[in-house]
Amino acid sequence: MSLAPVSAQGEKASWKQRLKAFFVERLGLEAVQSLAAKKTVPLHRCTPFYFLGGMALFLFLVQIVSGILLALYYKPSPDQAFESVRAIMTEVEFGWLIRSAHSWSANLLIGILFLHLLTTYMMRAYRRPREITWITGVLLLALFMAFGFSGYLLPWNQLAFFATRVGTAIVGVVPGIGHSLLLLARGGEEVTGDTLARFYAIHVVVLPLVTFVVLGIHLYLVQKHGMSIPERELARYGGPERVPSMPFVPHFLLRDIVGWYLALALLAALAALFPWELGEKADPFGAAPEGIKPEWYFLFMYQTLKLLPPYIAGFEGEVLGVLFFGLCGLVVLVVPFLDRGPRSRAVLNGLAAVAVAFFVVMTAWAFFPNPEQKVACIMLGTLLSFVSLTLLVPFADQRTPAYRLLIGLLGLLGLIFVGAAVWELIA
Amino acid sequence: MKGRLAIFAAVWCGMAFGSAVAGEKGSASGPSPSLPDDYSCKVCHWKDGELWNQETPTVSESELADDIHWQVGLRCHDCHGGAPSIEDYENHRTDESFHAIASPADIPGFCGRCHSKIEYMRRYTPSARTDQETEYWTSGHGQRLKESLEEKKVDKDVATCVDCHGRHGILAVNDPRSPVYPTHVGETCARCHSDEKRMAGRTYHGRPLGHDQYEQWQQSVHGQALLKKGDLSAPTCNDCHGNHGAVPPGIDSVANACGSCHAKQAELFSEARMKHRFEEIGLPGCVTCHGNHRIVQPTDEMLGMAKSAVCSRCHSPENEQYGAPLAGGEAAAAMRKAMEDLKQQIAEAQAKLAEADRLGMEVSGPRYDLRQAVDALTNARSLIHSFSLDRVQKALKEGLDVATNVNKRAEDALREHTYRRIWLAVSLVPILLVVTLLILYIRTLPIPEPTSPHEADR
Repeated sequence: MSLAPVSAQGEKASWKQRLKAFFVERLGLEAVQSLAAKKTVPLHRCTPFYFLGGMALFLFLVQIVSGILLALYYKPSPDQAFESVRAIMTEVEFGWLIRSAHSWSANLLIGILFLHLLTTYMMRAYRRPREITWITGVLLLALFMAFGFSGYLLPWNQLAFFATRVGTAIVGVVPGIGHSLLLLARGGEEVTGDTLARFYAIHVVVLPLVTFVVLGIHLYLVQKHGMSIPERELARYGGPERVPSMPFVPHFLLRDIVGWYLALALLAALAALFPWELGEKADPFGAAPEGIKPEWYFLFMYQTLKLLPPYIAGFEGEVLGVLFFGLCGLVVLVVPFLDRGPRSRAVLNGLAAVAVAFFVVMTAWAFFPNPEQKVACIMLGTLLSFVSLTLLVPFADQRTPAYRLLIGLLGLLGLIFVGAAVWELIA
Repeated sequence: MKGRLAIFAAVWCGMAFGSAVAGEKGSASGPSPSLPDDYSCKVCHWKDGELWNQETPTVSESELADDIHWQVGLRCHDCHGGAPSIEDYENHRTDESFHAIASPADIPGFCGRCHSKIEYMRRYTPSARTDQETEYWTSGHGQRLKESLEEKKVDKDVATCVDCHGRHGILAVNDPRSPVYPTHVGETCARCHSDEKRMAGRTYHGRPLGHDQYEQWQQSVHGQALLKKGDLSAPTCNDCHGNHGAVPPGIDSVANACGSCHAKQAELFSEARMKHRFEEIGLPGCVTCHGNHRIVQPTDEMLGMAKSAVCSRCHSPENEQYGAPLAGGEAAAAMRKAMEDLKQQIAEAQAKLAEADRLGMEVSGPRYDLRQAVDALTNARSLIHSFSLDRVQKALKEGLDVATNVNKRAEDALREHTYRRIWLAVSLVPILLVVTLLILYIRTLPIPEPTSPHEADR
């Protein structure tokens, strides 16, 4: 009896067909094939936002691959961590590229996740039955921020050491459990080699495991419920069945791949032109260097805590700040349950607009704390504002006053940015 | 004359009644806040004393409050002798237990009664030194005082203990307000040594003492370090001249004075032939090249045969002195050239590393290694004091090898940066090509008509 399948016409199948049949039979790929054939993506003005999730997934894959390569050479001990990263940068073939790609893609990933969160909120894609999809998404953002925080210390350089000391000290001000949390994070009272070992284990074992689980649930739910179409588009087309769509395979997937290739090109350019710097080896007994800063996505919190007075109404300012940000995180997590009608939605939208403005201003301020860098601060602020406002364009109907106001604002921001850039160049 | 002086001293230093050996009566049990009502000295020497008059010198408790002696519980009679109680009081002139200070020549002995006795001093400071008085009589000051005593004409301008430490209100030497605290030693010495009138005609071993030492020292690298930067390790007058036994260091001991801090240079110099030659012709060690009070920061320009170089003062054909051979000048010029070569290599390496750093290249390794070259340069600068061309060149060669290697690694880093840009461009071409092809392909794919309704959002 021959193992080779025979076609309906009785012709012998080619080796490719036989190989495909081998895997389809054993892995049950019919379901995947059928899903891929049936899956479609709605086509409307907000469709570009659907690419953000895929882009984040691609950057996460870059993280995994580059992270595994770095782990081959990295040595997580205070005596060797810095030297091993330096060896990766200088002695290992293409080590510089891998490390820079890892660092840059981590930052791009967080940026994309912020945009994904914001656009999902703006499309109200968290509506029933997608509440858990939203919650897992917010948890993923928190997990990737934790990835960033734990990974920041691993090169064991001055800036990272002292920033981690400040960062973990903030955890310590949480009322009641603060000190226990601090001990848990540091593995002792101070940031030491134990902290490094702990952060490494968290970065490469704990967080990836948790992330895989949460990401798996998130992707399953996205698959189960399909893409959410904004209400405005549904109303415009007169119902979900009348909204045009394109097949996921190959139409949307190819577009995704274009985006991934472009992200890859961007990563290569960033890694080659702006290699991630290493700085100087951490000296726990030395003075804290000037300009200690966390990663950019923690800057808004860092700047706020810095600006808070020591005491507010008899309570420690820092404690209130930490509690405030904890509350903000909780509010973001339960947004689907807070959106209970037009009135609560208006409140939420107002809060979201304030939060975005707060994030932009505080980040720009903290990024350039030096008063002499006012122009650079303005440039960063206008750029972030431009990006945030651009996200609103698909939601505004053309030729309406709101649309004209939006375009006007974008033009104004563009002008300010160009003016500031020219001023900076001349000065 | 002698009688008048005795009266003067009795009145001036006054406040003395008491035991034969003043110090032995001193109490080490701690300070008492004030003198008892029947304390004999108060009668005349306290401003509100019963027998005080305009001509009697006074001392108040507030003046004495910070005095180290007062603080450990010593009172007037512990230093000046005499009876402390008014009941036991006896006239200074007849009281044998009273320690009169008839002239400045009595002061070293006056202080030495306690400070030269280890049995007494260790009650207050277990490791106290007790050689100050002995040292004093060997100092320039002490010798001049002794001479004047022999001449039967006491030189009242000669410094004794009180001129530096003060009379009443003597502060501990480690008290920053003390006139002998390192930052004040210069001005304390200058009170006499910068006084042109007082120094006029004074000589030491036949050489005039001068009166501009303090001014010169203030401008020196040592003075600047101490006075401007507050570096208490920087030497002031007493660190080179001694304190109680202060004398100008002799020609053969200058290098030892400097060597107490600059040990390596002094050791190298002591092994050099140049040292013996200097001694033969009567030139002092270090100061011949570096100067004495106005010692400026040494620079590489001091080496070689250029006009600014100190070597050219003796070794040049135009200005040959002390029989200095011209070969020495050639050696100095060769040292200087080798030094400039290393400095140039280090500067080039630093510039390239800075550029590589600016471009984001990781160069902390070569930057760390470059320190060895800088250390070699520092070592060579010390070795100049051996006056050995071979030793200097060997040290510089070690630094030069390191600097050359770092230079090469810095160039490699810059080259690597260029390669990265080229490879970036090369890798972007296929990526963008694929993207273009994909876009072209996507444009050929028709969007099918909606066939399956999406699940309605609720």
